[in-house]
Amino acid sequence: MASKVTLQPCLNQDKLSVLGRQACYVVHEDHRPDQTNLGCGPALNAKVQEDVDFIELYPVIALESCSKDCATKLIAKMGSKAAVTLRIPELMAELGIVEADIPEGHIDCEDEKVQKLANRILAEVDKFLAE
Amino acid sequence: MEDMDFKVAVLNCNGIGRLSSTIVRQAGYRLRELRPNQIVLLGAGALAVGEEEHTELLKKYPLLVIDGCRPHCASALANELGKKPAAVIYAPDVAAEVKISLSGEKRRGLGKRGLELAEAIAQKAAAEVDRIVADEMLSTL
Repeated sequence: MASKVTLQPCLNQDKLSVLGRQACYVVHEDHRPDQTNLGCGPALNAKVQEDVDFIELYPVIALESCSKDCATKLIAKMGSKAAVTLRIPELMAELGIVEADIPEGHIDCEDEKVQKLANRILAEVDKFLAE
Repeated sequence: MEDMDFKVAVLNCNGIGRLSSTIVRQAGYRLRELRPNQIVLLGAGALAVGEEEHTELLKKYPLLVIDGCRPHCASALANELGKKPAAVIYAPDVAAEVKISLSGEKRRGLGKRGLELAEAIAQKAAAEVDRIVADEMLSTL
């Protein structure tokens, strides 16, 4: 059973990446503040110790906005391996979220689309916490 | 004669951990509104893993870095990739200059003050873009 899970979103600047980052805030801040870490890609790449610890000490869920899988590759670059890679387009299809309905630049954490995605990610987090 | 394409690649903090990450990201979007045909926004995550499109843009255009906080992650990435920035903006320096209090601001969504700081950073970045483009043009044509 994992004591904590690291969420590592890809953090690109397109709207699906923004949807993903907002969902990570919801999972971490609203649901599992003591049981998740928010992995910061640029800080990890810069070898900020906290972010290195996040991927070395805990199972990592990589959250990708596309098939390029930048977060998964970054984790590998830094010497670890994502336990799970979730791709937002696939999750959106599963949850009935339409890309055209997502605004550019920012979407509120309270938005139904963010909440749906967050709950889906939370289900993956809880699998690790329960194992 | 080959068309000259004078643009600036912008590598702004794409982080998630801090309030400044959100402020600098919003500053990047605002900069794109201010200079829509003159900048390309780069993704730090994509660059860090050598993604082709972003890597080509980094090589092609002069670089403006906007760092969000003390680790200077965007600068560190530019250095790792061997690209010397034409200019670097450090968000805390702009915050000190404009003296906007960020009390009560949240990383998950900016309020009035956070957006004011994002605007100040974007305006400073726009001035740097203008300078860099002018430098490129007059050093090239």
